[in-house]
Amino acid sequence: MARETLLTLAIMAALLGTVIVAQMMGEGFVITLATKATIFALAGVGLNLALGYGGLVSFGHAAFFGIGGYVTGILASHAGAGTAVATLPFTLMGSNQMLGIWPMAMLAAGAAALLIGALSLRTSGVYFIMVTLAFAQMLSYFAISWPRYGGEDGLSFYVRNSFPGLNTLVPVQYFAICMALLVLALIASSVIVRSRFGLALQAARQNDQRAAAVGIRPYALRLVAFVISAMITGLAGSLYADLNRFVSPAMMSWHMSGEIMVFVILGGVGRLAGPVAGAVVFILLEHLLGGVSEYWKALLGLLLLAIVLFAPGGLIGLALRRDRHV
Amino acid sequence: MSDAVLTLSHLRKSFGSLLATDDVSLDLRRGEVHALIGPNGAGKSTLIKQITGELRQDAGTIVFEGERIDHLDTAARARRGLARSFQVSSVIPAFTVLQNIMLAVLGAGGGVYRFVRPALRDPGLTDPARFHAEQVGLADRLTTRAAALSHGERRRLELAMALALRPRAFLLDEPMAGLGLEGARHLTTLLSDLRHQAPILLVEHDMDAVFALADRISVLVYGRIIATGTVAEIRANDAVRRSYLGEGA
Repeated sequence: MARETLLTLAIMAALLGTVIVAQMMGEGFVITLATKATIFALAGVGLNLALGYGGLVSFGHAAFFGIGGYVTGILASHAGAGTAVATLPFTLMGSNQMLGIWPMAMLAAGAAALLIGALSLRTSGVYFIMVTLAFAQMLSYFAISWPRYGGEDGLSFYVRNSFPGLNTLVPVQYFAICMALLVLALIASSVIVRSRFGLALQAARQNDQRAAAVGIRPYALRLVAFVISAMITGLAGSLYADLNRFVSPAMMSWHMSGEIMVFVILGGVGRLAGPVAGAVVFILLEHLLGGVSEYWKALLGLLLLAIVLFAPGGLIGLALRRDRHV
Repeated sequence: MSDAVLTLSHLRKSFGSLLATDDVSLDLRRGEVHALIGPNGAGKSTLIKQITGELRQDAGTIVFEGERIDHLDTAARARRGLARSFQVSSVIPAFTVLQNIMLAVLGAGGGVYRFVRPALRDPGLTDPARFHAEQVGLADRLTTRAAALSHGERRRLELAMALALRPRAFLLDEPMAGLGLEGARHLTTLLSDLRHQAPILLVEHDMDAVFALADRISVLVYGRIIATGTVAEIRANDAVRRSYLGEGA
């Protein structure tokens, strides 16, 4: 356990160190890449709570990523135009303050997860995967067919939302915001996993008949985990929207759901820093190999296959296992 | 019957045309070990599952501590103190012995939705868990993962989890299965003392254990109870000898 904590700190330090060096060398692009990895890691930390600790293989987390993104895009575009998002049942003005946008994005993602989870958690196994996928696809097609916020073309906003005391348009400052949120999410995640709730959740994953026999209801437990998970992924969606100053239905597509799963599986399912390692490696491969060939994902597929076959604990599991033999 | 803790009345359950439970009435009284015996396929596990709520009966009632529990789900019945062990050992494999018992303490005491305090540093969970580990002789195995336990130890872990539920009745489904002679003897002693804490409905094939432990025995054949009585009565019962114990018994 302690060794895993050290590894988590090392990975975070490496990410931070890369950005510091890039800042000194004036490599703004590297900082943007690192920011993207950080945001993807945050999305993965969210999914990991459901997938890794709860055993809920959600193939629809892009829905929450996208909802977080759209809430951000919609609020920002209205703030830019000075119009209200809605006037009924109460007037909701747009906003360009991250501190106001984040809770809205998380609430919206959480509310969607409550609905989607309440229905999909009545199934399990392959059916759960398919039902979550179906809900995410529904939302994605809805976004495509809703012209008011850009439809298929997506929605741009021109100024990154603001954060008190910082200039969010400076890459390193925006990275700092994302990094701080990732650290908070990792801390929250590790605290939840060790709590009473975490104990019960992990028990239900391994043996739900046993959990019920000692008086613990897996359904409600999983629903709560699913909602928390979606809120974290929704927050990541909000940050991603701000990074690109653009949201599109692609954020909710099954490709995105698959990518979030890849971060978690590549890094290590149910490992605290798994999604961070997974997202960083994903971005590195995309950057290094993507320049060589547009078929870089075939290589990613091979890597993923190798991990699943030979190192089910992911990169983190691999690192820790090698450690143990020394 | 006033001293009955658990009363099954006219339970009936069929799977298609197969009548697995056929008008079963049975009670479990304070302080007793009530053994349920019968050949394979007699419907013993089906009956246990109806009591725990994993299966819903087609007809009949289940009364526990004076209240009907038919409408409750498994978790709610467990929280009322209906503790069961499984025919095939069922624990949380990646958890340690301590965590497994803590889980049962958590289930019984409630307060699952607490997200901050580390469970392992919560004396409300760890203290009772250590106590129950000691009760079954697992005090020196607290940090061992359940997957690494021997079969006999896993049986005792299940018992500790049952104890942690602060049970008002035990439902033990073949606790002796797979245990060696020594293990079975050890467990028999343990169970014998437990009856004073809460009565035990014991499904068991090991007739030595049944005859050593049971205050009363019910014999289930093809879903029907063909006899209920004391050990001596059951041994003397012709129908039971023919259908189950065999002529030699």
